[in-house]
Amino acid sequence: MSVAAPEIRPAAWREQTVSLGMWVFLATELMFFGGIFMGYLYLRTQFAGEVAQASRHTHEWLGTLNTAILLTSSFSMALAVRFSQLARRETVQRLLWVTAALGAAFLAVKFIEYAMEWHEGLVPGLHFTIVENARTTALFFFLYFLATGVHALHLTIGIITVLWLSWRLRKPPFPDARADDVEVLGLYWHFVDAVWIFLYPLFYLVSLAS
Amino acid sequence: MSYLEEGFTLRSWLTTRDHKRIAILYAIAITAFFFVGGAAATIIRLELATPQGDLVTADTYNKLFTLHGVVMVWFFLIPSIPATLGNFLLPIMIGAREVAFPRLNILSWYIYVLGGIFVLYTLIVGGVDTGWTFYTPFSTMFSNTHVVEAAIGVFIVGFSSILTGLNFIVTVHRMRAPGMTWFRMPLFVWANYATSIIMVLATPVLAMTLVLLSAERILHVGIFDPALGGDPLLFQHLFWFYSHPAVYIMVLPAMGVVSEIITCFARKRIFGYRFMCYAILGIAGFGFLVWGHHMFVSGQSMYAGMVFSMLSFMVAVPSAIKVFNWTATLYKGSIVFTAPMLYALGFVGLFTIGGMTGLYLASIALDVHLTDTYFVIAHFHYIMVGGSVMAYLGGIHYWWPKVTGRMYNEAWGRMAAIIIFAGFNLTFFPQYILGFLGMPRRYHEYPPEFQVLNLFSSAGAAVLAVGYLLPLVYLGWSLFRGPRASANPWDARGLEWKTSSPPPKDNFVAPPQVDAVPYAYNPEVPPA
Amino acid sequence: MNSPPRLRVYAVTWIALMALLVATFVLAHFRLGAWNPAVALAIAAAKAVLVALFFMHLRRSSALVVLFAVVAFFALAILFGLSGTDYATRAIHPTPWVAPDRY
Repeated sequence: MSVAAPEIRPAAWREQTVSLGMWVFLATELMFFGGIFMGYLYLRTQFAGEVAQASRHTHEWLGTLNTAILLTSSFSMALAVRFSQLARRETVQRLLWVTAALGAAFLAVKFIEYAMEWHEGLVPGLHFTIVENARTTALFFFLYFLATGVHALHLTIGIITVLWLSWRLRKPPFPDARADDVEVLGLYWHFVDAVWIFLYPLFYLVSLAS
Repeated sequence: MSYLEEGFTLRSWLTTRDHKRIAILYAIAITAFFFVGGAAATIIRLELATPQGDLVTADTYNKLFTLHGVVMVWFFLIPSIPATLGNFLLPIMIGAREVAFPRLNILSWYIYVLGGIFVLYTLIVGGVDTGWTFYTPFSTMFSNTHVVEAAIGVFIVGFSSILTGLNFIVTVHRMRAPGMTWFRMPLFVWANYATSIIMVLATPVLAMTLVLLSAERILHVGIFDPALGGDPLLFQHLFWFYSHPAVYIMVLPAMGVVSEIITCFARKRIFGYRFMCYAILGIAGFGFLVWGHHMFVSGQSMYAGMVFSMLSFMVAVPSAIKVFNWTATLYKGSIVFTAPMLYALGFVGLFTIGGMTGLYLASIALDVHLTDTYFVIAHFHYIMVGGSVMAYLGGIHYWWPKVTGRMYNEAWGRMAAIIIFAGFNLTFFPQYILGFLGMPRRYHEYPPEFQVLNLFSSAGAAVLAVGYLLPLVYLGWSLFRGPRASANPWDARGLEWKTSSPPPKDNFVAPPQVDAVPYAYNPEVPPA
Repeated sequence: MNSPPRLRVYAVTWIALMALLVATFVLAHFRLGAWNPAVALAIAAAKAVLVALFFMHLRRSSALVVLFAVVAFFALAILFGLSGTDYATRAIHPTPWVAPDRY
């Protein structure tokens, strides 16, 4: 693969370079979440039955709703990226708003879930009142709060960045550099979605068969 | 106008996006931390000069070796070559004007400083006593020192590492000058590229491990506590999954430096260039497969231990290939014993000894006897100090004229190198014997029969300290009074020697055209 | 660069993702034994692949980018797999729960 110096083909070169940078960053993010997945793998393989029991305390309807919301936000984000390649500034701006709104809706549902879980005494170390299968349930919910909490943090950063980018696009022009920003932000957003795609079955769908 | 003359204010330095200035910012910061870690080592060796624990209490001693490890690993060795020499030279060596993301670069330095502030804060409020390895359940349940603060400091500095690695990877892929194909790049670039891959993939796992550690210490849920269903070895698997590749982060760039120096001062192209490239990648790749060799006696399954032991033997192979190739490069070369060359030759010998003792430790049966003794300490100091630090100093001397535009005094340089080599061996060789005899590590006192060897070791440490202080003197002096350096004072090959000393802000006056093979030192002899 | 993908591609991908979501939710309510986690993870993987290929444009990206995506997964696989050799073969002797001693 030949490497074109920036002076020769600046626009395409910049897009591919920042894109590669974001993919490398996403690799680090995958490894970051990997630590939590390792802890989960340990707990699920060593205490399969107890983990199944513990997971019944999660709210699968809210989790499923949230998955649908996040998948749809990925759809709107992907459309934003597509239209940014056509320099359709206003369309991109609207799609970014939709994406941020759906992300905020996810966080709202998550907040409701966390409030319910606090009320039900499911927060280990802080407010934990479960007696049956207490130890594994505590560990399960420790991982649950850590995983979904770190995920929510990443999503929040994504929402803020989407809003910031949308604000920057409130007026013309729409230079290639901004289109590149939309694209790499899109990569980040889809990654956050992909992490949730795995968190959902691991925490919510362990044992729903009655 | 050189990059040094583009602004003389503090602000021009602290807001720079020039990879060369960022390299110097890093160099200053890591030198400061080197002496912090060195101060801890000084007190340790003073205490160990006598068998009784009479200089410091056991608790203080624990805090000292923890400080020494945390500072030396994360605030000196890991950033040392990549963030200083790598930042300065990598773009120039591939013919680029800058790194791919200059703003991320200066951000990485600020993140490093922030992490450093946390660690210094931890030190001031009383330190941490878990060892740099933070093993559970001591760190999560029993230690009453500032574990979380220290963990935060290391967590933060990890991101400095990640950003540096990310930058290097994208720079090498996207910013090579026309004609600079992969197999024309200097081995220093290959080494830093492979190191960057490790930084980017391994460091995030450490970050999450520190989060788990801190959460467990605060909430006591039991993820690492067997009484509550957790597993202390879960921590060790996660910790060493990063920390073993981390030692390759510390040694691969050093190997890159050594390749540059040996070719220049043997006046010969590197023997087996392609194999050197594959060996670099092989070390980086295999380095991810061996972490369990730190856990042979931890309670890990014996069968897993056997797998890790076998893989640990295999990872020695690419390192050995590199040692053979350096030796073959020296063979029939026209060797000049400059200060950088003394450091590079020292690296080859001391790394070989350290590497071979690594094989002893990779043998499970031997490791049962040698683990947690001074044998292990000697092994990794031979590699980290006899290897990496010497290569770092060699690189500092070799590229000093390029970076500063001044030549240092060669006689002082050679003298310091010899003092360091002698002091190093006097300090650490006795520790192999002490380890074999059974002296455990991380104790502030020991049985009297070990005193003679410990005295040798402490005496060596004094010599080593003198050796490390000397460059501060003569290198510092050269900045003001050293003779001005030409573009290529060593008559070396490589793009960095084709630009002025020091280079201009954009590295080159005109974009370089690359058509030469690397290390074109002896063109009259065709490559094998 | 080429022209961007047609809108249809994104819409079909989204529909497929929602369909897979419904499928995984429904299947989780059936007692399939060891197949439950296998099916759930397989569907999750399928969703992730769809997101990567069509939303993240991995299908149109250079080989280098695909390589980076794959290498990270590979590194995770090593973490899980080699740690797994320990957990799979360690002789664990369960003992009664005992409250830990603390200072």
